[in-house]
Amino acid sequence: MNRRRAGRILTAVLIAALAVPLMYGMVQLPAPGHADAPAHTNVSAGYIERGAELGGSENLVTGVLLNFRALDTFGEVLVIFTAWLAVAAVAGTASNAERDPVPPSPVVDYVIRLLGPFIAIFALFVIVNGHVLPGGGFQGGVLLGAMLILLSLVMDAETVARAVSARSWIWLRATGVLVFAMVAVMGLPLAGYLFGLPDEPGLRQVLTVALELGIGIGGGAVLAGLFFAIAGADRS
Amino acid sequence: MKIAATALSHVDYLVAVALFLTGAWILLTSGNLVKKVIGLNIMETSVFAFIVTTGMIDGGAPPLVAPGDPGPFASPLPHALVLTGIVVAVSVTSLALVLILRVRAEFGSVELDEIALSLAAGDTAEQSERHGSADD
Repeated sequence: MNRRRAGRILTAVLIAALAVPLMYGMVQLPAPGHADAPAHTNVSAGYIERGAELGGSENLVTGVLLNFRALDTFGEVLVIFTAWLAVAAVAGTASNAERDPVPPSPVVDYVIRLLGPFIAIFALFVIVNGHVLPGGGFQGGVLLGAMLILLSLVMDAETVARAVSARSWIWLRATGVLVFAMVAVMGLPLAGYLFGLPDEPGLRQVLTVALELGIGIGGGAVLAGLFFAIAGADRS
Repeated sequence: MKIAATALSHVDYLVAVALFLTGAWILLTSGNLVKKVIGLNIMETSVFAFIVTTGMIDGGAPPLVAPGDPGPFASPLPHALVLTGIVVAVSVTSLALVLILRVRAEFGSVELDEIALSLAAGDTAEQSERHGSADD
């Protein structure tokens, strides 16, 4: 007990010691929201000026993710796929099937089943319009994953996880990585370098949407897979 | 007076710092592993909030640059950075949670002091029992 108290006091001192330089540093920064802050006048000004034209998407965030910094985004897709692999590997050895499923009220059940298709369509809309509207592959993928998680709350995770065979789940989860790798290699003949998108606007648009779809479907399947693995439903 | 004005104009950043410290406090003092993960998540969120705030402009539009739109636009770069950060945060959180499940299967608890107790006692009876009942 006494040791715990000493630990808390020590932590409070540490946090206070951390707070002072952090706060002091923060107030030295230019105030947020000012257009003449260095954050807005240097690199990002160039992106806003020519990014839409060079990157091929009006949504500059998508342009940065899929074109200018495509290698980073590929790494990101790999990270989340690897995370699922690791989670599935650990979950396979930890069994926690002891909890009783709590039946939800009929109202909740009905509303979630009713909402499911609409959420799926909205997710598709967000994914496919990611280059012109706010949204994109990751955002749509999160919506898809959330829909699967919601459904598995009312239907029971096992049923939702078995809607698709274990083999297909693996391919679905790898979609993001595979599509991205494919488009990256296609950049060699089309643009002259890896991860390049062609200059021809129509083709570039098609490849951008393909990337978004791959990331969205893969991301959604991975998110649902993380949930299933933690819920103990998917042993594959 | 000047300090108050500075604090007011930087209030977004200061809130991010406060969130960061709150998360650090939870991470360091809580003995519950799940609460530690929540503390880590609060710290991550505060960093995301800070980075996104640096890209914001008063009265600025989201960086959807249609031809002929004069702006001003929020900076797209912090958003792209934070998107990457969020993906990594989700990965870290899920991996931590599943490892905590594994710890619970092994020790029957997610409280650090209880785990330390059963480690000290070398108590393996409960573990083998759990393993036996859980394999179906």
